Amino acid sequence: TGGHTTEILRLLSCLSESYSPRHYIFADSDKMSEAKIRSFEQKRAETFSSSQFTLHRIPRSREVRQSWTSSAVTTLYSILYSLPLTYKLKPDLILCNGPGTCVPVCISALLLGLLGIKRAIIVYVESICRVETLSLSGKILYYFSDYFIVQWPDLKEKYPKSVYLGRIV
Amino acid sequence: FRFKDSLAEDLGRADLVISHAGAGSCLETLEKGKPLIVVTNEKLMHNHQLELAKQLHRDGHVLRCNCSTLVETLQSMDLSTLKPFPPGQPEKFALFLDKVVGFQ
Repeated sequence: TGGHTTEILRLLSCLSESYSPRHYIFADSDKMSEAKIRSFEQKRAETFSSSQFTLHRIPRSREVRQSWTSSAVTTLYSILYSLPLTYKLKPDLILCNGPGTCVPVCISALLLGLLGIKRAIIVYVESICRVETLSLSGKILYYFSDYFIVQWPDLKEKYPKSVYLGRIV
Repeated sequence: FRFKDSLAEDLGRADLVISHAGAGSCLETLEKGKPLIVVTNEKLMHNHQLELAKQLHRDGHVLRCNCSTLVETLQSMDLSTLKPFPPGQPEKFALFLDKVVGFQ
């Protein structure tokens, strides 16, 4: 969704072209992210001519303040949907920053890793908006990501296994 | 205004911005180097949305008030006390990620 996409594109802005091809996964209900991503990639293609990227939409796992029981059902549906997609893409690295969309994808990647099919490195960057508390995705992925990055010192104190690099967006 | 696609143009021409505590609004304004007064309403906003506004205020980047104290704030404000907001550094993230992945 909006803010998340803007942040993740900023995170990508200084990455070398070794991080290619890039597969963007976002919620089917998201109307604005596609345009932002295309614009970013278009600009990037001006410098790096061999830029490759793809876009994928998955069902949104949870609406804000959706009830727990219905969230469990929609998240399960999202996991079932993202499992074949993750299997097809077999990513080496998953970079995510907090929308509910990232949880099913990471869970799929973890499953593929457990099954010995493909082990992806999962890097989670909590939003700059999160100063004192983690988002729900963050609370879950703190335990399941390989690297968990926070952007404010308070969170580094509360979550000692996290990485603090200062503000990076 | 209703919903404009981008406020960038208006922000560019503004001398002072008064905004709600939404993160996007705050950050966009600060990145353009404009003085910002954030109007917070603790009753209305979910706790986590206030976090960034509170921190920015603590760090001296924005002035803060609520609806009833806005006029008073406008009358007594000293914008020179506001500290500039340095941009984030995605290059630090790139360096970190290169190490993690093994591109050195």
